Amino acid sequence: MTVDLNKLHAVGAIAEEAEGKWGMVIDMDLCTGCQACVAACAMENNIPYVEEVDAGYGRSMHWIRTERFWEGEYPEVKMSAYQPMLCQQCGKAPCEPVCPAFATVHSQAEQINLQVYNRCVGTRYCANNCPYQVRSFNWRDYQDSRVRPEITILANQFNPDVTVRRRGVMEKCTFCIQRIHKAQDKAKSEGREVEDGEFTTACAQACPANAITFGRIDHPESLVAQLARSPRAEHHLEELGTLPRVTYLKEG
Amino acid sequence: MIKRFFVWAISPMGRIAVVIAGMFVFSLAAFGIYQTQQNPNPQPIQFPHNLHVGLGIQCLYCHPGASKGPSAGLPTISKCWGCHQQIAKTQTSPKLKPMLDAMNNGTNFVWAPVAKVPEFVHFNHRPHIAAGLNCENCHGDMTKVTIAENPQVMNMGWCLNCHRERAGDDEAKLIKLTDCGTCHY
Amino acid sequence: MSKQISRRDFLKLATAGAATTAVLTGCGPTSRFVSREPYLKMPEYTYNGMSTYYATTCRECAAACGLVVRTMQGRAIKVEGNANNPVNLGKTCARGQATLQGLYNPDRVENPVKQARGAQLSQETLDWNAAIQIVSDALKNTKPSEIAFLMGMAPDHLFDLVSDLAKAIGAPAPIRFGALGMFEARATLSKAAEDLFGKASMPFFDLENADVVISFGSNFLETWLSPVALTRGFAKMRRGNPERRGYFVQFEARMSQTASKADEWIPLRPGTESLVALALGRLIAEAKGGSLPPAFASVDPLTAAADAGVQLEVLERLAQALVKANRPLVIPGGAALGQSNGLAVAESVLALNALLGNFGLPGGVFISPLAPAQDAYHRPASAKEMTDFIAKMKNGGVKVLFVHGVNPVFELPKHLGFAEALAAVPQVISFATFPDETALASDYIFPDHHGLESWGYQRAVVSAKPVLSGAQPVVTPYFNTRATADVFLAAAALAGGKFAEALPFADEVAFIQSKLTQLVGEEGFFTAPEINSFTAYFQQYGGWWTSDPALATPSAANAIAKRFTPAAAEFAGEGEFFFLPFVSPTLGEAGANKPWLQELADPTTTVMWNTWVEMNPVTAHELGIENDDIVEIVSEAGSVEAPVYLYPAIRPDVIAMPFGQGHTAYGRFASGRGANPADVLGSHFNEAGDLAFAGMKVAVKKTGKTKVLSRLESRIGVYGEGLEKE
Repeated sequence: MTVDLNKLHAVGAIAEEAEGKWGMVIDMDLCTGCQACVAACAMENNIPYVEEVDAGYGRSMHWIRTERFWEGEYPEVKMSAYQPMLCQQCGKAPCEPVCPAFATVHSQAEQINLQVYNRCVGTRYCANNCPYQVRSFNWRDYQDSRVRPEITILANQFNPDVTVRRRGVMEKCTFCIQRIHKAQDKAKSEGREVEDGEFTTACAQACPANAITFGRIDHPESLVAQLARSPRAEHHLEELGTLPRVTYLKEG
Repeated sequence: MIKRFFVWAISPMGRIAVVIAGMFVFSLAAFGIYQTQQNPNPQPIQFPHNLHVGLGIQCLYCHPGASKGPSAGLPTISKCWGCHQQIAKTQTSPKLKPMLDAMNNGTNFVWAPVAKVPEFVHFNHRPHIAAGLNCENCHGDMTKVTIAENPQVMNMGWCLNCHRERAGDDEAKLIKLTDCGTCHY
Repeated sequence: MSKQISRRDFLKLATAGAATTAVLTGCGPTSRFVSREPYLKMPEYTYNGMSTYYATTCRECAAACGLVVRTMQGRAIKVEGNANNPVNLGKTCARGQATLQGLYNPDRVENPVKQARGAQLSQETLDWNAAIQIVSDALKNTKPSEIAFLMGMAPDHLFDLVSDLAKAIGAPAPIRFGALGMFEARATLSKAAEDLFGKASMPFFDLENADVVISFGSNFLETWLSPVALTRGFAKMRRGNPERRGYFVQFEARMSQTASKADEWIPLRPGTESLVALALGRLIAEAKGGSLPPAFASVDPLTAAADAGVQLEVLERLAQALVKANRPLVIPGGAALGQSNGLAVAESVLALNALLGNFGLPGGVFISPLAPAQDAYHRPASAKEMTDFIAKMKNGGVKVLFVHGVNPVFELPKHLGFAEALAAVPQVISFATFPDETALASDYIFPDHHGLESWGYQRAVVSAKPVLSGAQPVVTPYFNTRATADVFLAAAALAGGKFAEALPFADEVAFIQSKLTQLVGEEGFFTAPEINSFTAYFQQYGGWWTSDPALATPSAANAIAKRFTPAAAEFAGEGEFFFLPFVSPTLGEAGANKPWLQELADPTTTVMWNTWVEMNPVTAHELGIENDDIVEIVSEAGSVEAPVYLYPAIRPDVIAMPFGQGHTAYGRFASGRGANPADVLGSHFNEAGDLAFAGMKVAVKKTGKTKVLSRLESRIGVYGEGLEKE
């Protein structure tokens, strides 16, 4: 039986089946696991560090991480390719319909998954429902100088274009929506469309191996759309019908 | 009548209703007190907007960022000085003394922002100016006030009302202007 | 109202009311108390709320990557790569990204202080005039031969300035050192080039144009020489040619991050790298036919393979692959060079390349060009030279020591006794930005700016084009720090006489311009007719580089003709395990004080915020060791304790440990965290004088203690399991 979620008043939660607007291609054959994307993302998006004990509890807040898996035993041991894992900006996102506060909604304008911090009440339903485990929760006021005195000076580095999240708020990769807005605003002020490659996300910008490409997946001639047509392309957990906007290119 | 109310009020549903009503009244009161206790920082000087605008100075002369980017910007003391050094009264007027002192000591005015939004809202002046809005549409008539005052509560309802009005029948524009991600990220 | 409201009910009501209030009023009053202070004089090109970008050079390592730093309202908020700089072409590594957490680090030396060798950072501040007087007196009142300068691998302009000063006053040339240089075995590479090519230089491996690459222990995707440039090269090698995917094989006892990207990871017995390289050479020579070159004549592939614990068929297959390859390349590096026969490894690998005939061809071996404004290749000091310097300090040969940009108390093996030698120096003046171990053991700390607040230039190590990457301040200094170059210039002027004559410059920028003058009018990325416009472009583009590569072709004759005596490396100590320290890919030598670098998961183990010991699970189970059990590693030189990580891809007779943690100072994020593998390293060197850091055998003892490692890979501990053991 199929349920029409739109009839369940979950309008906006699952909105599209089309190919999407923004997309990313990650070449796992090139990714060296160097963590440059993770650091760049943290610096761009004011992501807090949680320190050793909380990190041990699995509360670290990386919006992007490199996964790797082992196969076999020494000496026949193999490591899978590094898989940078970030919010897949699903077209049919499992996180969206479960939010009681409509804090994680689908952006119809940019066709990505939004996390609206001021609406979030911290139920963590979305994180529990995310098959990619890419949502992270602020268990403490990590960015409050009253809790952490060192934030007073570290906060000089904060990106003013991104909200500093407080305790009890869920967060995740936004496809650097602040950069999308900035590029669109600039293009509009010059009376033109955003060009392919004019801007990119912080992770793609930093990646020394050029493994990450970002752009308009719905423009067939854009670099990201061309790469997504590669015979090596695959989507993670595609069988769940989440319509991920991140395409991975296999090794080989 | 009153007795019937009491009877109802000790029934299970009635108790819940009373508690909810009590909470509502209590929170309204607390909200009111909160509002009165939260005075913004005082402005360093009673800057007369009316006088300056009356002299024909354009808003963008002192707040040039409004047409270029997110923040309109506050003028530096050297900008004040650019005009005021030509004016004899600058040296004598007691009202202008704070500015003269600031200029001589190399200190600065620390302003209390008037039109402000919470940190989870990313407002950008440029597209609003580009869409043909004038400063006074949001900030009020500056010929009537000395220090700037907010003519309205700048909350989300106010933003969205205008956005919906402006979008009109244009579906794409409406989607863009009412998308959560347009302001919140 | 017959029913009284109980106290309990009242409290419930009050709590609910308060919660509702909080919801109704938003999350907090923070935004209501914002105050805005405009610029006193706003720079003309800025607008409020809009970013300004400045090109500069990264100082997290010495590779000279160009950065473009986004600043807003006088604060640096994001590091981006400089797309023009040929070294990194717009890319950055994690350490470069986190350099901002060094700039805005809560534990910086904020003022010049009289440290007096205390355990904590001294609170006794001085003013800069007093500081300059102290430096000036130290220069003037000490016999020049008893002055010593100890410099880090970056920045180059300061090294040039101090070199000029030392030369003019007759002091010994400054010594350059850095842990990365030590673990990269730069002295070995340079000596191998000198032996085989006739001139000390840095060999250049053209990774990006190769199609079959074999690496002997080189960790070029992690910290080796210029990781961003080499990662870029790797990516082009792998996928740059649409016709053919590059093939990469790594010989290493442990699967490092670099080895994890290899198509084949071949664990060999540590110390047998040169045997395997020579055996490969012999198999290739035999496959090619003709006379056997002398270099490979004396090796027996079968015994070499047996010694290394590798199947002969594997070597034969690789030899075939290299013969068939259009552009084969073999790279030495990392732990393979840090063994007693490290020089033989480097030379046999160069000989193997010579046999493959790739010298001077795309995807082959070249000699790195000299950087612009460079007279000759100066390699950093080897550990052997540092040992000689330590002896000089101990014998009273150094009366005044100036230290900048290096932390030898932490970086050098404790066994070498740098800390004790430092105690024997009457006056130690540190210019450290952070309160590291060496700075705390100094008499004075006169803090230099952070790299993003500094002028300067840095020469690229790995670049086909000669690159002089320029640095400029992107923000005004946050603390009361001063450029060390300016301190030396002021001190020299104050001392007068030959000191003032040696450095006749008004400030640091004037000195840098004096070095740039020789590039005026040169053809390059930009050409400027006179020095002022040259300097302006230099700042705008973040440096100067030539338009074309300037690689030199080495002669293959010597390399093939050299007769090697095939022998495995010798290992010091009695233990049953080979000890393999490696530089942490995320922390590098000096990243431990940046919280986000601590929070980055190690690529292969995903451990955060600590040091671990990698051990093969089979060996560990035989010894009754589980994950997170703390073991003591004992060598002939010392011991160190750290928790075990059962690593599936390491030889059973090898244990590995990352370098980068184990600080006793260096700020709140680094201090008292993890362990330093340098504590167990001894004083054994290879023929080139580099430390045989991978040449130790160690014993492993259980301590009975455990420490849960925080790792990203598992969610263990979320609900309590795994955190406490019965």
